[in-house]
Amino acid sequence: MEAFVQSLVSGVLTGVLYAMIGIGLTVVFGVMRIINLAHGEMVMLGMFAAFWGRSLWHLDPFLSVLLWTPAMFVVGMLVYRFLLRKIIPGGELNTLLYTAGLSLLVANLALFAWTGDYRTINLPYALTPMRPFGIAVPIPAAIAFGVALAITAALWLFLSRTDMGRAIRATSQNAEAAVLMGIDVERVAVVTFGLGTALAGAAGVLLAPSLYLYPTVGELLIVKCFVIVVLGGLGSVPGAIAGGILLGVVESFGAVYVSTTYKDGIGYVIFLLVLLFRPSGLFGVGRS
Amino acid sequence: MRRLAPWAAGVLAVAALPALARNTFFLHVCILVFMWTVLGAAWNVLGGFAGQVSFGHASLFGIGAYVTIILYLEAGIAPWWGIPLGGLAAAAASLPIGLICFRLRGPYFSLSTLAVAELVRLVALNWEWATNGPVGFLITALPPLSFLGHAVNWEAKAPFYAVAAALMLLALASTAWLRRSRLGAYLAAIRENEDAAEAVGIDTVRAKVLTLALSAFLAGAGGGFYAFYFRYIDPDAVLNIGLSMEMVFIAMVGGLGTVGGPLVGAVFLTTIGEAVRERFQVGHLIFYGLFMMLVIRFLPEGIWGRARRLLANARARVLLHGAARG
Repeated sequence: MEAFVQSLVSGVLTGVLYAMIGIGLTVVFGVMRIINLAHGEMVMLGMFAAFWGRSLWHLDPFLSVLLWTPAMFVVGMLVYRFLLRKIIPGGELNTLLYTAGLSLLVANLALFAWTGDYRTINLPYALTPMRPFGIAVPIPAAIAFGVALAITAALWLFLSRTDMGRAIRATSQNAEAAVLMGIDVERVAVVTFGLGTALAGAAGVLLAPSLYLYPTVGELLIVKCFVIVVLGGLGSVPGAIAGGILLGVVESFGAVYVSTTYKDGIGYVIFLLVLLFRPSGLFGVGRS
Repeated sequence: MRRLAPWAAGVLAVAALPALARNTFFLHVCILVFMWTVLGAAWNVLGGFAGQVSFGHASLFGIGAYVTIILYLEAGIAPWWGIPLGGLAAAAASLPIGLICFRLRGPYFSLSTLAVAELVRLVALNWEWATNGPVGFLITALPPLSFLGHAVNWEAKAPFYAVAAALMLLALASTAWLRRSRLGAYLAAIRENEDAAEAVGIDTVRAKVLTLALSAFLAGAGGGFYAFYFRYIDPDAVLNIGLSMEMVFIAMVGGLGTVGGPLVGAVFLTTIGEAVRERFQVGHLIFYGLFMMLVIRFLPEGIWGRARRLLANARARVLLHGAARG
């Protein structure tokens, strides 16, 4: 029973961070119909930003998230404006291959600049976990959980309450109708891509204290990310949240009750099954 | 006859190359170019001709490599038999993969191939009784063979050069055949509009599964050759995602849906890759990614695709000119 609760808790803790990454991918898909294969590299950049902030300026990762999230927003806008914009009219598969190229470029530039060494961020308060009700909760994971919840809530407010948020949702529902209603779809696309990148970067910063950092970590994350968004239905934000938490919990139960070696395999099997039998996602909200 | 002339010239050139340059490094690069041409052609058959973008071809390559090396080490079957058998094994493995993944279209198909490839990698990593897990396999000595009365020297590059060249010829010839065949016409129809293809009575699933099997055979034979040439494989070397991506890039940079494209792409990318590797050890993938982006942005038909079009235009202009004067 204790093992059950323990793995449930740690599954939810990582699940919320997975959800953040998934939301980033899914809003971009919703608005632009791009599956961004370089999304994992944006998470990797967030992780390294946290690492360098810590080792060069002694910035706590959970404070530096305030700095890196807007920075990654700008990075995202620049990437869209100067790299992606001209490619999108060329069709879905061209964009997919183009972002594959971008992903390889960024990961290998990072490998060249920072070497393939595994790095960790050591925080003084990470050594002893909290033990509420006898369940071990690592303090960095708990803080990351809180910050991720706050960011997701802020995003929710932004999407549902502001004009820009409404424009994003409208474009994602029907781009042509949005243009006819006078929405500047080009601006919506820039902001959405910035937003997606900022979410990936922020998740990277928050994940950095709990994971090993290395330049090709994005490869692993992007596949998880596909599992999440396909579970929840491509293009759906609530779906990505549910998919992220579900994957976190499934992985954590899989590691405890099945085997650590096949932990990742469970995710892929679920992914294939969902793609085959419920291509619009478990909750039937996505579009295929 | 005129169609066969460039092929004859190509075969002569490939046969003459090692006589002209006895430099071992040059031969090594040639062997790599030939191997990557086979792999690029394997991907191109499916991705370029049928428009089905696979991100999981490393799994077929890896299956071929594992079958070739296991047959040799466990059953004593020489690699030159093992390479075609590896290709056949990959083709057999591609049937269930195709039946699952071809239920999906477009980017969804691509994502499902990625998941299948990762599953194959996990299996190779964990079924230690069959695959030795992360340790992999090592060939310490290749079997003796005599050719025209001389014992073949496995420490030289020449025998590998011959095998790689034969495989490349097979890959290019089968692509050329496919382009002119009825199946090739079906594939073009599927690539342009799958619903319309189905509506005119093409069995699209059958066409795609057959094409995947051909593609898998070439990729598996390429994997078998990798095991034969490098004599060492493990899941990281022959089953990683990066390998699938390199196959995509070679076909894309050379020219999707062309016969010569993979050769041009392989010459271009392998030469750059080896030059960078010589100088910096790492980093050739930086250029792969960069070229991928540049090609899609500025040259979506690929280097060979563009060159062929320019050539055809020039020829048409010359003919027109001649006709006007005559």
